[in-house]
Amino acid sequence: MSTTLAVTSRKLKGKDLITIGIFSAIYFVINFIFMLLGGLHPIMWILMPGFIALFTGVPYMILASKVQKSGAVLIMGFITGLIYYVTGMFTVVILITFASACVLAELIRLATKYKSFTGNAISFAVFSVGMIGSPLPIWLFKDSFFAQISKQGMSADYLSVLSSVATDGMLVVMVLAPAVLGIIGALIAKGLFKKHFAKAGIV
Amino acid sequence: MAAKSKVDQAVFLDPRAALLLLVFVTVVVFTQQSFYLELALVTALVGLFLCCGLFISGMKFILVFGFLLALQYYIFPAAPKIFADFFAILTAYSRKVFPCLMIGTFIVKTAPVRYLILAMRKWRFPQKLVIPLSVTIRYFPAIREEIGHIRDAMKLRKVTGAARFEAVLVPLMFSAVNTADELGAAAVTRGIENPAPKTSVIDPAAGRSDGKS
Repeated sequence: MSTTLAVTSRKLKGKDLITIGIFSAIYFVINFIFMLLGGLHPIMWILMPGFIALFTGVPYMILASKVQKSGAVLIMGFITGLIYYVTGMFTVVILITFASACVLAELIRLATKYKSFTGNAISFAVFSVGMIGSPLPIWLFKDSFFAQISKQGMSADYLSVLSSVATDGMLVVMVLAPAVLGIIGALIAKGLFKKHFAKAGIV
Repeated sequence: MAAKSKVDQAVFLDPRAALLLLVFVTVVVFTQQSFYLELALVTALVGLFLCCGLFISGMKFILVFGFLLALQYYIFPAAPKIFADFFAILTAYSRKVFPCLMIGTFIVKTAPVRYLILAMRKWRFPQKLVIPLSVTIRYFPAIREEIGHIRDAMKLRKVTGAARFEAVLVPLMFSAVNTADELGAAAVTRGIENPAPKTSVIDPAAGRSDGKS
């Protein structure tokens, strides 16, 4: 039904808006679980965007196939960002990376006409990279961070841990992980589509 | 130190005022480094908590903040290395975003969802954002309920390992798609696509206490 709608109109209808809302909720919950896990260890935190990409592939791809109209991803990103922001968990850095990733993902969807799997998978990978803004301050505010903690009389161990984590190599890993795992997540979604959802006529 | 005078004597804050406060505090936190300013900000926010009758969570925040400080200044230098490794960055980071977290909790505790939505309508957020957002917020309890049911069903059938992931996600997606269909039909019948402005029982006038913040 949604495919016939998509052909006739590219504007978001009431039903589409509700679908977006529901899938945003699912996306947010999965995202939030890994956000909490990221608090356990710095390494988990840095890999967090990757994990999120791996596990949110399914809801994202279903949303992308249910609402083949412009704005779906943008609204989902907006909702996620707003809830995180209102509860005080998003910093300015992640707001910027997240917003730009959403816009890019939306543009990729527009360029690939919403239907192609490859297009949606790439847009999902880009969308996932948006989450890197969360651990990014480790690198961005590195100098002030180090200055502040050495002033506080922190042990040399503490500093060495921090600098061992905040290397350029880790930065590359952090940025690439969500992109690669995002594609894998999309492939998992594709497998599940074939196995379950296509039979039920959902996608 | 401007923050202190800004949040005095508030009794009930309009969600809009709280949101603006959040913007303000975010800017302060990320442009300032002074420890005393941080302390003043946290004190002022605790004051705000107390004024609005949130004694318990105000006290909790004081305890957590004290705990964080103690960790950073006294425990980490003395603690074994492995322990400090684990929690050092986390502690530093949570101290940095602490004031934002406080306001976040404040908004969640004091403002009902419908007030937030109304506030956004007043600010002329497009309907396309307000509708999905209100659906999202109200779908969270449904997800919890759904996962509870799925867990019960899984216990009966002894699903283990990687299959668990699939076994949770797939039914969750099915129910989400179905709910979207049903809710969509119901909402359209009730006139969600009506272009006329929505009306509301609550009149969110900016009150006396908002002006002060």
